[in-house]
Amino acid sequence: MIKQNVIANTALNSPIANASFLNPQGKKWKKSLAADLLLTALIDAFSILVIFLLMNFSSNGEILFMKKDMELPKAARGDSLDRNPVIKIEEGKVFLEEKMLTAEGLIQELLELRKAFRASHPAGEEMPTTITVQADRRTKYEALNSIVLACAHAGFSDLKFAVIMK
Amino acid sequence: MSQSKKHLDFELNLIPFIDLLSTCICFLLLTAVWLNVGSMNVKQAVGGQPAAETPKKPTLWVFLGDKGDMTLETRDAQTLPVNMRKVKLGASADGKTNLLQLAAQLDLMKKAEPELKTALIQPRAQTSYEDIIDLMDQFKKSGMGDLGVVPL
Repeated sequence: MIKQNVIANTALNSPIANASFLNPQGKKWKKSLAADLLLTALIDAFSILVIFLLMNFSSNGEILFMKKDMELPKAARGDSLDRNPVIKIEEGKVFLEEKMLTAEGLIQELLELRKAFRASHPAGEEMPTTITVQADRRTKYEALNSIVLACAHAGFSDLKFAVIMK
Repeated sequence: MSQSKKHLDFELNLIPFIDLLSTCICFLLLTAVWLNVGSMNVKQAVGGQPAAETPKKPTLWVFLGDKGDMTLETRDAQTLPVNMRKVKLGASADGKTNLLQLAAQLDLMKKAEPELKTALIQPRAQTSYEDIIDLMDQFKKSGMGDLGVVPL
């Protein structure tokens, strides 16, 4: 049965078949120049890698998109980050979901966002008042202040400052 | 005689198994998120609710200075000793906020007033975002979960 097997009929004279504990063919192995692979160790390593990567796997996907030079501050007691509208400060410019805005434009855009939510939810469901703020750790508060004020004006009272968990 | 022996055992074809594992590893490596991003939750310090309707609870106001110093001022805390209601903390040796001193002071305050759970931070225009987050992190470590930032 093994002789008809694909493994047994390989061009390399089947090192797997030679090394087999169930049906060893030691004579053939001696003649073979092909290197003998220890597949058990390889599969063990692969399985450990798969388990490790599966444990780290995040089904949420990327919530934030960061430029290479952006460094978020670090915190030990942060909470998990959910998908909310994201306001980002990059090089002094304010973005709402990748759209560049001024401070006045930001209030307008946030109100539009609220209006759009109401239109798409006719049952009277209120939009969550949460906004995610993403900024470089070296950003000064004067830059963040306009976002804090704009969110307050537009009725977004819960701010989530994005951090890297320590 | 030996040729007539039939083996009941069979061998597994490992190649598809290795292929599957390799594909899994490639997929998981490509989709892995190495940075663990979280968030520091903050409530707006200045809300639209009338002051009369807001229940009075002990609140700690934190006024940050220009050189890493800060002033802690407690309001509506009846059980807190008078000498703890307004405390000035100096900067650390590197000119940043002294988080160790803050932690010790917060511990004392929490012992005297266990209901103290709200802190409002008033940063300066030049205060860095990192310093504010460090401060918030310290407050959370000290058991103060309701945090807010005051606009300039």
